[in-house]
Amino acid sequence: MEKPSRGSFNIPGTVINGQNAQLLTSTGISSVDSILGGGLPVGTVTIIEEDIYGSHAKIMLDYFLAEGIVNDHSTLVASLDMNPYNIIKNLPAVIHNDPEESTISSDSIQDDKMRIAFRYQNLPTSDKDSHNIGHYFDLSKTMSLADIENSDICYWNGQRIENGTSMFANPAYNELLKAVKEKIKEGKFFLKDNPSKRNVLRVGIHSLGSPMWLPSRDSYHLMNESRDLDMFIFCLRALVRSAFAVAVITIPTHLYHENSLDRCIHSSDIAMRLQTFSGTELENNFSLSDYHGFFHLTKLAAINSFASKHPGSIEYVFKLRRKKFHIEKLHLPPDLQEVGSSNSTPPSIACGSSNKHLLEF
Amino acid sequence: MATINPLLVSLDIKSSDRVVSIKENGNVDSNFVITHLIKQILGDGNRMCFVILHNTLGHYQNVGKRLGYDFLKQIEEGRIRTIEPLKDIVEDIGNETNYFVDDKEQVVKGLFKSIKSTMEELVEAGSSRVYLVIDDISHLLDLGIDLKYIISFINYCLSLINDERISVVINTHVCSKSDEIICNNLNYVSDVVIEVMPLKTGVSREVTGLLNIEKSGKEQVTQFHFKAYDKGIKTFHLGESVYNLYK
Repeated sequence: MEKPSRGSFNIPGTVINGQNAQLLTSTGISSVDSILGGGLPVGTVTIIEEDIYGSHAKIMLDYFLAEGIVNDHSTLVASLDMNPYNIIKNLPAVIHNDPEESTISSDSIQDDKMRIAFRYQNLPTSDKDSHNIGHYFDLSKTMSLADIENSDICYWNGQRIENGTSMFANPAYNELLKAVKEKIKEGKFFLKDNPSKRNVLRVGIHSLGSPMWLPSRDSYHLMNESRDLDMFIFCLRALVRSAFAVAVITIPTHLYHENSLDRCIHSSDIAMRLQTFSGTELENNFSLSDYHGFFHLTKLAAINSFASKHPGSIEYVFKLRRKKFHIEKLHLPPDLQEVGSSNSTPPSIACGSSNKHLLEF
Repeated sequence: MATINPLLVSLDIKSSDRVVSIKENGNVDSNFVITHLIKQILGDGNRMCFVILHNTLGHYQNVGKRLGYDFLKQIEEGRIRTIEPLKDIVEDIGNETNYFVDDKEQVVKGLFKSIKSTMEELVEAGSSRVYLVIDDISHLLDLGIDLKYIISFINYCLSLINDERISVVINTHVCSKSDEIICNNLNYVSDVVIEVMPLKTGVSREVTGLLNIEKSGKEQVTQFHFKAYDKGIKTFHLGESVYNLYK
């Protein structure tokens, strides 16, 4: 990412990370932002490997797009599986407070005043990030049409597909690349452009690589099933690197051969994977019952530095509440005997009455 | 004299090593090897032709600052010449030119022609050594170029070594069968093979990955663990990460 040298510019919804000279923008989900070390760097491609039914990945994409609309960023939304208008129509509504936290903070007011540690009474109990660049969204309500109409959204659903390019087996990939490039050109998002007011383009692609994207019947590039996808992501990387754009793509990787999308992950900058519990044996696991699935951060590229803020070997889980999608660290509860759905009573010694007091004999 | 960088000492690349290949496995980033080698090249007063397929100039500038060299200034002074296919690809999208043409052999030949002319200019410009550094040749696969053309491209680049003053450094990422083929070919012809891979059993907070250095002629492979910090890379012998943690 070229560090912009023209004066100080301030794009709403972004923050500059001085350490790495990166421009970060929020994913819409504050817990994901903190795992990524602040947010998504502008100029990067993020891949979300979908869970089995794709629903949670779609929710993450919804947050990303909603965040863009709230910040007045330009948006390009593309999908061959769903009508992009429907994706935008069903984005979560923005609210001002965290929907979960508002209930917690009202309880804490009734807490007892601390008698011994009274000096610490007024200190905040949880550490909140000081730069919280994201907004809060409420999944139970949809975004108002007024907000949607006022923002610059470009929809792509693969209608105008011309034949004739042999670079990609399925010409839809080429069309989408052209559409992204046109949008960047038209909105003057290129790094070398000099518009009066700088803005960021958010590219959200839903379900890339799904069966709708498979090669057409008469193509001869059948040897490598993910060749198109590799090419597309590499070219998209080239595009967003040269512009103030950030791309988030959801891919149903479970439809592909294991490890066949490793090249795509190499071409991308950030890769995450969602693994739901429903339908697997983990669904019945007691310690995981609060959560809906695992969240794996497969890759976090070290851009502009040697080391990325990859959290290392921490397990993350996600849960989908009615109003909020949330990712947190997995803390397994202590393995005490009495915790469990089957509370087995300790065996009593036969001699004497069956009393609780073992000392009475 | 500038402080000696411990990683460069561990790598120990000499000017007699004409072909160096860097192999990156898994999700660990081997870019630090190239950025440290750039430091060595510039420190010795040599020149460089850099083919960038994975990162951008801004990245190298930022990392270079942490290592102590000004990348963009060196480009201005003519000691580093860059070839950026990423920028050309952006131009080509929609235009079906250059990288998007049907005949992939032309793509490869075109790229080599520009490399050759740049190298010739660099050789004319002074009496120092000239290095050709290619960051991530495996991305040529991502452009739809067939394996045989990539192997011919590697051969073209290696033919540059006929000139005594030229050395070639090629980085490749390995994650599929085709990548393996490119990588094996490179290993066969290299004087030094540097392999960077993640830990086999998972992720650790204290060790980022494993670094293997194999020199042709020497039977033994030198192994290090390394940890990537914000400011640099620390290498240590296997299992000795504890001694380096609190520095």
